[in-house]
Amino acid sequence: MIRLLKCEYKKTRGRWIFVMALVITAAQIAWGLYGDYDSEFIIKNGWMSFLYQLPLVNAIFLPLLSIIVSSRLCDIEHKGAMMKQLAVVADRWRIYDAKLIYGLAIVLFCNILSWSASVICGYAVGFEGDVPIRLYLIYLLFTAVPTIAVYIFQHTLSLLFKNQAVTFFTGIIGAFCGLFSMFLPQLPFLRRMFIWGYYGVLQFVGMFGWTKETRYASAYFDVMDFNWIFFGVLILICIMTYIIGKLLFCRKEV
Amino acid sequence: MKEIVITNGLTKRYNENLSVNNLDMRVKEGRIYGFLGPNGAGKSTTLKMLLDLVRPTAGEIDIFGKRLTSKTRSDILRNIGSLIESPSYYGHLTGAENLKILQTLLGVPKKNIDEALRIVRLERQQNKKVSAYSLGMKQRLGLAGALLSFPKLLILDEPTNGLDPAGIQEMRSLICSLPDQYGMTVIVSSHLLAEIDQMAEDIGIIANGKMMYQGPLKLLHETDKSKNLEEIFLDLTGKEVSL
Repeated sequence: MIRLLKCEYKKTRGRWIFVMALVITAAQIAWGLYGDYDSEFIIKNGWMSFLYQLPLVNAIFLPLLSIIVSSRLCDIEHKGAMMKQLAVVADRWRIYDAKLIYGLAIVLFCNILSWSASVICGYAVGFEGDVPIRLYLIYLLFTAVPTIAVYIFQHTLSLLFKNQAVTFFTGIIGAFCGLFSMFLPQLPFLRRMFIWGYYGVLQFVGMFGWTKETRYASAYFDVMDFNWIFFGVLILICIMTYIIGKLLFCRKEV
Repeated sequence: MKEIVITNGLTKRYNENLSVNNLDMRVKEGRIYGFLGPNGAGKSTTLKMLLDLVRPTAGEIDIFGKRLTSKTRSDILRNIGSLIESPSYYGHLTGAENLKILQTLLGVPKKNIDEALRIVRLERQQNKKVSAYSLGMKQRLGLAGALLSFPKLLILDEPTNGLDPAGIQEMRSLICSLPDQYGMTVIVSSHLLAEIDQMAEDIGIIANGKMMYQGPLKLLHETDKSKNLEEIFLDLTGKEVSL
């Protein structure tokens, strides 16, 4: 496995994969952390406001990041017609795992980067109080696991289909479904249907007290229930996607 | 002479299409086995089955005296070098970098890269990006990749495809030198009769997935002296088949 991971690194040199991932993460950070930091409401509720608004931004950028990283990593094998060569010198399940680990490492590193940026930004701006570290760690977990689920799905598609347009469009359509399901809170089953919607399913901070009349004057953020049941469901989805994806790849004739 | 590859009743069916039909193949150690057949005869599918890239519908494969199964595949494939359907490698890397990746995966010494590059005469172009390689250079790089572990068995699927006459001649003499210099057994497929005639010692002729003849090439020449090899081949594969 170490050999395969080394090879993944060597193969991707000069492909700008990591740079592209960083550019997307920079855009995600810029969008997510953009705000009116002169507002008293934001300074007072800054830490919680991030936990409220960032899942939506994650639902936009992280699926895109997964599509690009998985597609770039697998496309080099398809372009060079190298899958046959690789499948002779290494076990296919190892090829699947090595590419998955390598891609996930990049994507999760970017997750941690954007998470760190939100904490640093909070301190830099001077949000009231200390960072609620427990909530932020749960938020990191609730961001990483949907990302892992989406990445495994994209990774499998990228390996199975030579034409990366299939992967790209499936990912984009999925991401749109997930994103728009977040705008329909009255239909919770909708977002639970799509792995891309789990950034919203696992959101645990809500805004309360906002009315047209009083607007932010009476608004406040509060922690809702942690959706551990659907977190468990998502873990199961990850395991199932991984097993099915790996089986399909190993059984595919090249 | 010991038989290094034995297939019994090897069959591959894609839906209704029988690509390989009950094929019994025998390849002797240290020889060049020419696998000849018209386009679509089932050559590549057979070679892919030997490399476990395609699963047979029926039949058995024994290589180096071991049955090819999911448990034995790694042991067997470790001793096989292959060039199947001309991979174009990682274009953004140099020839040497491409071989370095294969060398790492195979776990063979680094010096094998230089040796393989020397054999295929690609030392001077090793630091050029593969995207700038000609087809002939890519084929030679493919052969270098197959030779990297100096395997006991080399499987080459139409290695001269797309090469110019000089390139074909060069590749041919290279392949012919392998059994004597490195003790390798070579299976080389082609749809070109003249090519196999100049390289192989043993021959298997396949048409519509069936083995029509298998044995020493010399014997085939002697079967009917009134006919040349092309006429014999057409008799075996059916006259409607054009080469």
